[in-house]
Amino acid sequence: MRDDPPPGLTRIVHRVDTVALGDETQYDAGVLTVSASEAETVMTDPALGEVRVSWVSAGEPARIVKILDAVEPRAKGLGGGGIFPGILGPAKPQGHGETHVLQGAVVVAAGFLPRAQEAVADLSGPAAALSPLGSAHNLVVEFSPAPGASWEAVEAALRRGLCRLAAWLASAALDAPPDAVEALPGPAWQAGDGLPRVGAVTNIQTQGSYKDTFVYGQSFGLSLPTLMDPNELEDGAVTSGQYGHPALKNPTFLYQNHPVVAALRDRDGRDLRFAGLVVCPEPVEQGRKELISEHAARLCAAAGLDAAVVTKEGGGNADADMALKMDALEALGIPAVGLFAEMAGADGTGPPVVVAPTRATAMASTGNYDQVVSLPAVGRAVGGHRVDLVDRPATAPLELPTAALYCALSPLGWGRLTCQETV
Amino acid sequence: MTRIVHYINQFFAGVGAEDAASIPPACAAGPVGPGRRLAALLSPEHEIVATVWCGDDHATTPGAVDEILDLIRAAQPDLVLAGPAFTSGRYGLACARVTVAAGDAGILALAAMHEDNPGVDEAGAIPVVASGPSARHMGPSLERLAAAARKLASREPLTGEDGRINRPARRAVLVDRAGAERAVDLVLARLGGDQAATEIPLLRFQPVSPAAPVDPAAAAVALLTEGGLVPDGNPDRLESARATRWLRYPLPTGGELAAGDYCSIHGGFSTVWANEDPHRILPLDVATDLEREGAVARLHPEYLVTTGNGTSVGNARRFGVEWAAELRRAGIQAVILTST
Repeated sequence: MRDDPPPGLTRIVHRVDTVALGDETQYDAGVLTVSASEAETVMTDPALGEVRVSWVSAGEPARIVKILDAVEPRAKGLGGGGIFPGILGPAKPQGHGETHVLQGAVVVAAGFLPRAQEAVADLSGPAAALSPLGSAHNLVVEFSPAPGASWEAVEAALRRGLCRLAAWLASAALDAPPDAVEALPGPAWQAGDGLPRVGAVTNIQTQGSYKDTFVYGQSFGLSLPTLMDPNELEDGAVTSGQYGHPALKNPTFLYQNHPVVAALRDRDGRDLRFAGLVVCPEPVEQGRKELISEHAARLCAAAGLDAAVVTKEGGGNADADMALKMDALEALGIPAVGLFAEMAGADGTGPPVVVAPTRATAMASTGNYDQVVSLPAVGRAVGGHRVDLVDRPATAPLELPTAALYCALSPLGWGRLTCQETV
Repeated sequence: MTRIVHYINQFFAGVGAEDAASIPPACAAGPVGPGRRLAALLSPEHEIVATVWCGDDHATTPGAVDEILDLIRAAQPDLVLAGPAFTSGRYGLACARVTVAAGDAGILALAAMHEDNPGVDEAGAIPVVASGPSARHMGPSLERLAAAARKLASREPLTGEDGRINRPARRAVLVDRAGAERAVDLVLARLGGDQAATEIPLLRFQPVSPAAPVDPAAAAVALLTEGGLVPDGNPDRLESARATRWLRYPLPTGGELAAGDYCSIHGGFSTVWANEDPHRILPLDVATDLEREGAVARLHPEYLVTTGNGTSVGNARRFGVEWAAELRRAGIQAVILTST
């Protein structure tokens, strides 16, 4: 018998039904009120000039443009250590104790950064269902750089500030009675009950400044694949600094709420055993891609996986990582299923996958990158005045490729888009 | 009853052969030429209410497809059939473009031609069924077209079993379950022994055979890039992703691409290093040395550029064809195409 409590994390959920700006920041019975001046103070950084926050909520005839990252407000309860380890506190392994979640609210940064590609989310109309922001209350942070600050410093300030703001908002609910208490046991590290052991293999984009991802606060670019407890994600161990590929982004919000992790947890103990998470960088050199892919497959074999769901972040280059990794897993006898956004041209007749695996064959589709979506005019837009991609006013009716809609083709499998053959 | 308009070329309309290739579009009520046999195969449920034809050369001129479509729409069809065009290239292209225009106008459309006809690539989402290689195969080709037309008229998808030779379009749809949940379903299907379970049919790209080697010392060489390198300010607004165009610019005579005069607008990588030294994208410096040393006979004075970032395979293939034609006209024997 062991004396210490079983590893695991307790998610204490506080639902956010109504939001407002007010004199004080508080959470009470589903109502989240935020003091704009306090929030702007929380974001203060020598690299940032003016900061403005505003709410943009689901159902409004509104649009958010130039979206950079989105973070779910979360805070640790007493004795739980630090949320966003390596960013807001020491980089100590996380994923245990209690984590408070303000569910239904998202903190969003929007504006210009170098290399960022135009990302758009509508809060109503046909595109609202295509983005996680479309069904949320979004506290949007707009900013200007401080005079003389480098863009690198502005980016780092935004990333830290967004985590700080998210933690600060959630701390308003620490004493509130929860709407739900969810026990999240750690993964089944050992084989035992005869159910197939299935893991999540998550490739994350690591292409240098503005296209980078941070694990425990450090760029993941030079790392080998790492086996993690998925509960570490719950506490913000993986955060995004990747502002390319709007529809193919893995924002911090979707690492905190990893869809494949959720889907595997959902079937844990019934159809399978959720056996852990392997995160892998997406290097740009072919030799490194091969090294990382084979290493990831070895790690999965060592963890005793019977099968894996493989995901990516980004466009064509990332398909090569997917194909290599799926094939490396299959070569070791581990069936691999990949999540791909199809890039089949506007009319859907092009070859859907840029680099297809040669051994692995099972792929789930998250939609077509090139298919055009019509967005109606909106009453207000936050994040910028124009949509640069099509050079139109931000409130105008827009014809955009799905590729420009924030998380619409989520490679982590958040969305409900797929592709089907037509007559 | 399904109202059908049949599109054919001047030859099958009986107007004339190559001498009549420039005639403008024209129209007659009912079936004409091969349409008579087609009408017999389709009756009585479906009727060819009109036939539209055009000279093969005229059909490739700007605006011709619109003229043809106007005649087609005047007959108020439910379905447009085009061909069979066999291996006739201009006729196949016209069949493809006319049916694509009909499809864009909301009319069901179907073309028939041989799989080697270049029109197959232009048909986009419009179904194309196979015909034989020449008019000697008219009978079975019409039977296949008629069977496919019946199926399409009842809104059933056409597949390889119907003789379809282009892939059906894939359209995005919202389903009940998230992608991650569907991926886990596929895992369980695989573990349950279903080796074929997938949502995306696997395609193999056609392998490209390398061209035969050339003697560089005797070759005129052109520099090409998909690295998005354009004159500073991007005067012609080349796209940073999903390019639909390529551009041509003169190379500076001094053999040097000065920093500040050129920039890369490629959206798929950090362009800092490219802008610092544009030769990192387009190696004009080394190529000029090679020309001076006689290692290559001469350098083409222009470079061709596009952006290879999420570019559709269809557009990329078109750029390749256009570049090859352009360079062949310019007497170029070899190219250095830099990839980023």
